[in-house]
Amino acid sequence: MSANNLVSINNLTVEFKTELGSVTALKDVSFDLPRNCITAVVGESGSGKSVTSNSIMRLLPDSAQTSGEIILYPQKSEPISITSLAEKDPRLRSLRGGLVSMVFQEPMTALSPVHRIGDQVAEAVLCHREVSKEAAWSEAASMLEQVGLTDVQQKMRMYPFEFSGGMRQRVIIAMALICHPQLLICDEPTTALDVTIQAEILVLIKSLQQKLQNSVLFITHDLGVVAQVADRVVVMYDGQVLEVGDVKQILKNPQHPYTCHLLASMPGAERRTTKESKQKNWAAGAALGGGTALATAEDGRQVREFVR
Amino acid sequence: MTQLLSVKNLCKSFGDQLIVNSVSFDVNESSTLGIVGESGSGKTTLVRSILRAIDPDSGSVRYNGEAGWQNLHELSAKELLPLRREVQMIFQDPFASLNPRMTVQTILEEPLVIHDLGDKAWRKQRVMEMLEKVQLDPSSAARFPHAFSGGQRQRIGIARALILEPRLVVCDESVSALDVSVQSQILDLLKALQSELGLTYLFVAHDLRVVREFCDEVLVMYSGNVVEQGPVEEVFNSPDHDYTRLLLSAIPSPDPDEKLDPLDRATLNLQLA
Ligand SMILES: Nc1ncnc2c1ncn2[C@@H]1O[C@H](COP(=O)(O)OP(=O)(O)OP(=O)(O)O)[C@@H](O)[C@H]1O
Ligand SMILES: Nc1ncnc2c1ncn2[C@@H]1O[C@H](COP(=O)(O)OP(=O)(O)OP(=O)(O)O)[C@@H](O)[C@H]1O
Ligand SMILES: [Mg+2]
Ligand SMILES: [Mg+2]
Repeated sequence: MSANNLVSINNLTVEFKTELGSVTALKDVSFDLPRNCITAVVGESGSGKSVTSNSIMRLLPDSAQTSGEIILYPQKSEPISITSLAEKDPRLRSLRGGLVSMVFQEPMTALSPVHRIGDQVAEAVLCHREVSKEAAWSEAASMLEQVGLTDVQQKMRMYPFEFSGGMRQRVIIAMALICHPQLLICDEPTTALDVTIQAEILVLIKSLQQKLQNSVLFITHDLGVVAQVADRVVVMYDGQVLEVGDVKQILKNPQHPYTCHLLASMPGAERRTTKESKQKNWAAGAALGGGTALATAEDGRQVREFVR
Repeated sequence: MTQLLSVKNLCKSFGDQLIVNSVSFDVNESSTLGIVGESGSGKTTLVRSILRAIDPDSGSVRYNGEAGWQNLHELSAKELLPLRREVQMIFQDPFASLNPRMTVQTILEEPLVIHDLGDKAWRKQRVMEMLEKVQLDPSSAARFPHAFSGGQRQRIGIARALILEPRLVVCDESVSALDVSVQSQILDLLKALQSELGLTYLFVAHDLRVVREFCDEVLVMYSGNVVEQGPVEEVFNSPDHDYTRLLLSAIPSPDPDEKLDPLDRATLNLQLA
């Protein structure tokens, strides 16, 4: 039993077998997703953020070999060891179809190109609740309005290719939120949105989280978004977890050199640093392989400055 | 300074919706024009109609390439072919734009093959160089797109666009899936190529910090219209239009104690002239 955590990830290792040998995507990753909490995951491109979230949804391809354990402790039922569920286990369906829902990193891959937007969102409602078609349609319309689409009735009759990148991303967010999942996974949900819509979506995700008291796993590389939305932060690099902590601690008093490096790399940060120290930072980041030696005192001071 | 691109009164509708409303701007060679704005305001439609990926309804796009000034919309498909080498686009959705059945080697080599450049050994070497430049492992060449992370796929798209050493590159949200560290390395790469080869960029992006850092001029779009344009620092320091003010007020601060508090749309004048 876990009173405080909705999900525990313990020593998760994922290897992909390819014709060219194996690629280790995750090495001994452990962290928890507490209940009623938004946990952000930040880290290098290719560090294993999406592989971690896909592991929770059991969406890895057959070429993936997994060891370690992911346990989900649902609100009103027995714990589920996600990593040991058989492919045919009915609990896998309930996991993907309601307990957990996910906003994928690439919206086009998550939408059917041949179905109208409205039908796809209404279908998501019908999968989770026993309501009439009309009720599902109007619930879909209201959720699409909440994610900031206008002329919703007209847009619901359009196809994905007729939508802009950001409009598609909002459709995916609406489909995930409408399921009221116990765990909402958002993989870079606001990268295709302008900052004003992004701000609205962040408020929406946060307020729904507070209403449903659920957990959110929020993957992003925007440290500004992290500061605004997250309660806790997990920092990943090269398939490993480097640092886990409260959002204020991580952003204001980062312990790991890579976290300092990330903060120093924020666009705009350069304006305050000299070209040389930027390059030094860069080299230090590149040399990080072992996860040690980085940031001199001088760099340490610079990285803690916040930029506007 | 030499002008490279001149867009005049470009218009595009879908059905009865006017999506791009009489957009005009000029771009100098070896400079970077940022295009920012509302989601759905027509940025992708604008850049795609410039490149003739879609046909605009009216307006002109003049390009000062190796063959001198040409009106892109008057060229036949055959006349356009050499320009396909000079002008490259990096697409907004990296996965959808990479052929899932091709290895990265084939994907990156393809433009070289189409334009009949070099022999096999040279092309292979070029691919390796490009992979290194976008910080991907050499072993990536033999893998297929699905075996990459979002940001890695985005870098494959960047490598493919740059491999021909084009003169004009249109980037549609091309660094948005990258963590800030890799992102700043890619931006450094683009800058280095600019000073080395005189590249010109049209840079569509939502991240205003990146735009401020990377672009010389910026154009702000709202609902199909350009509401403001000018040198980046000027626009960011003293925005003229309320939509620009709204955008700037919505940039999230990385300081958790500073709560995001964007301007209230109701108090702004967002009417179009
Ligand atoms: N199907 C696969 N086959 C082989 N390698 C894979 C596969 N899927 C992912 N990988 C590798 O696993 C590593 C982790 O990928 P993942 O998608 O989790 O990165 P990420 O942290 O989400 O990065 P990004 O921020 O760029 O999206 C990467 O190095 C990637 O190349
Ligand atoms: N093929 C199409 N058919 C009909 N409408 C379209 C088509 N392509 C785009 N649109 C519409 O044109 C408008 C502008 O879309 P566009 O993709 O240019 O926006 P954008 O500024 O790039 O937005 P984003 O920042 O979200 O990518 C949207 O309202 C979209 O629905
Ligand atoms: Mg990812
Ligand atoms: Mg777009």
